[in-house]
Amino acid sequence: MKTEFLGLKLKNPVIVSAGPWNRDGMGVRKGIAAGAGAVITETIVTDALLDVRPRIAYNGWGAQNIRLYSDIQVEGWQREMEIAKSKDGVIIASIWAHTPSELAYLAMKMEKFGADAIELGISSPMGENLEVVASDAERVFEMTKEVVSNVKIPVMAKLSQNATNIVKVAKAVKNAGGAGVSAINSIRCILGVDIDTMEPTLSTYGGYSGPPIRPLGLASVATIAQAVDIPIAGVGGIENYRNVLEYIMLGASAVEIGTAVMIHGFERITEIVRDLEQWADSKGIKEVKEIRGAALKNLKSFEEIKIEPVVSRIDSSACAAACEACMKACIYEAIKKENGAIIQDPEKCTGCGLCTFICPDKKFRLDW
Amino acid sequence: MNIKEIARRSGVSVATVSRVLNHPEKVAPSTKQRILEIMEELDYTPNWFARGLNFNRTNTIGLVIPHILNPGYMEIAKGVEDVAHQKEYTMLFCNVEGSVEKERKYVDDLIKRRIDGIVLVSSLLEDDDIQAIKDQGTPVVLVGENKGSIKGVPIVRIDCEGAAYKAVRHLIEIGYRDIAIICGFTPERENKRKVAGYMRALAEEGIPERKEYVQEAANTIEGGYIAAKRLIDLKQRPRAIFTTSDLLAFGAIDAMKDHGIKVPDEVAFVGFDNIRMSNLIDPKLTTVEKPLHKMGVVGARLLFDIIDSKGEENNYCREILLQSKLKIRKSCGHKERIGEIF
Repeated sequence: MKTEFLGLKLKNPVIVSAGPWNRDGMGVRKGIAAGAGAVITETIVTDALLDVRPRIAYNGWGAQNIRLYSDIQVEGWQREMEIAKSKDGVIIASIWAHTPSELAYLAMKMEKFGADAIELGISSPMGENLEVVASDAERVFEMTKEVVSNVKIPVMAKLSQNATNIVKVAKAVKNAGGAGVSAINSIRCILGVDIDTMEPTLSTYGGYSGPPIRPLGLASVATIAQAVDIPIAGVGGIENYRNVLEYIMLGASAVEIGTAVMIHGFERITEIVRDLEQWADSKGIKEVKEIRGAALKNLKSFEEIKIEPVVSRIDSSACAAACEACMKACIYEAIKKENGAIIQDPEKCTGCGLCTFICPDKKFRLDW
Repeated sequence: MNIKEIARRSGVSVATVSRVLNHPEKVAPSTKQRILEIMEELDYTPNWFARGLNFNRTNTIGLVIPHILNPGYMEIAKGVEDVAHQKEYTMLFCNVEGSVEKERKYVDDLIKRRIDGIVLVSSLLEDDDIQAIKDQGTPVVLVGENKGSIKGVPIVRIDCEGAAYKAVRHLIEIGYRDIAIICGFTPERENKRKVAGYMRALAEEGIPERKEYVQEAANTIEGGYIAAKRLIDLKQRPRAIFTTSDLLAFGAIDAMKDHGIKVPDEVAFVGFDNIRMSNLIDPKLTTVEKPLHKMGVVGARLLFDIIDSKGEENNYCREILLQSKLKIRKSCGHKERIGEIF
């Protein structure tokens, strides 16, 4: 399923996102070899610093990452970029700096080293300030504009959910001449606290990523798509080809995948691309644009939602599991057990719909 | 040992030995091998100065710094060196110590030695001096502002006025109003900007300027000590002091300790530079983080952009403004821990 993103023609919409898995030229090549449409380097900065240890934690759902940026200096990236570009493949350089002139200078270096595009990593929730730069539309505009006016390759900015109004920021990127945005970056978090030692899981605030942030990413992508005419890469918690399609149907032209690579390896990219192609073939879809934003028309305002008098109906077959989960979850007390069978009371049911998601057997449906 | 001797012992011409050094691909492998072995045996290394004359390249850059005992300048120097090393360059190090004559002489010497470029750190040189370096063909880059305000020379700098403003603003927000400044004599232009930032923050709050609260001193620990003593002796001692460098703050805090004055309970401090030791003194120094190492790194990159461009330097005249940031620690008496984390 081909796509066009940032004016680049990609063989598929799957991009390996910026992160430590792309810490050098060989890492980037692994993503290309796995079949990705493009690969983004780990975020490159003016003055690389030593990593902290430990810096990555995982709780089975999501990951906290306090690794900051690439530990390879710009001079080293000249060599790494050559390795990354040694065969075919689209390479996007992720960069971050604190001022427009510093950022533009880095972008020029990356362009010279052969990057096909630039992603501005302006939304990292780690270190930096309480307010991430991506929450300040004016600063984002200045930074993007300075970069865009100094390089010929396309420039996109990575946006954050840690912004009051993500549309304003996306518009700032567009007005500054940015070719696209990616959304969302990881979200500032503390993964947990060990109640015996009273220590947080990692020793400072970090970025939360993985499946738990996918619903946030989906909402951000949809919001941008409905407000700003700019190509979007959807980012956040993609685990499989279905998640890729969710982002696309909410308006993304491409997607970025990172944490799934970190947890499951580059094979996951190969699997997702394969499954995506199979799905597209079965539907006769050749390009992303055929389905891009297809779900947006079903995304309504409250006013547009027609309120039908639906209530929950249960099918009369016996439960496979004796879980009673539906009873516990029914806050309206409309589900009870009589003579060993689950009974639903249409008088009490308000049609909230929760039981249809709770039941492991999918025995409930809403109807009238 | 010289190239003639190598030629004699190898039984080849001087030109052949020269080719082995400079265009080895043009020499027959067996001859090359024999000559290299003799060179190794005799411990011969080429005269780099002479090579510079021949190739117009000495693979050496000059770094001119204000003061070798100021650790801040050492961090800048390391930044320059880190890049120079990757470029396989050697660095000549010149220590100015407040003397513009000394700086002029060093620059002159560097040019005579045919170095490939010069990095000037917070230079005392006037615009004309720097223009002269550029005009006679030596690439030159500024790290921090020179005494004048030359245009057309690549520079990496921070916004000293804005940084000082934020530092003093921070003191005002904590609740202090009697705020003094200890200002180093050098670097002149940058420190003038810091004083301007200090004044702006006070004026904005309607806090009157007090002449006796602006103390100038040599930019050293000793200078800070002496300036602090003058402030201690005032009838109305300041409640907080902003210093234009961390070294000045170290000296001033030392003076406070000698006089039994508690920091920050009786006098609070904010420094400038964030040299590594500022995190080790007691109390840990709140200070403006100047990205010292990064300034050196960028300065060196700007210089190599010109050196590698072989004369098309106009494409590489960039002004890069780096961000400074207030590092909140203990010496300012700030109570919100979150401010220390972000």
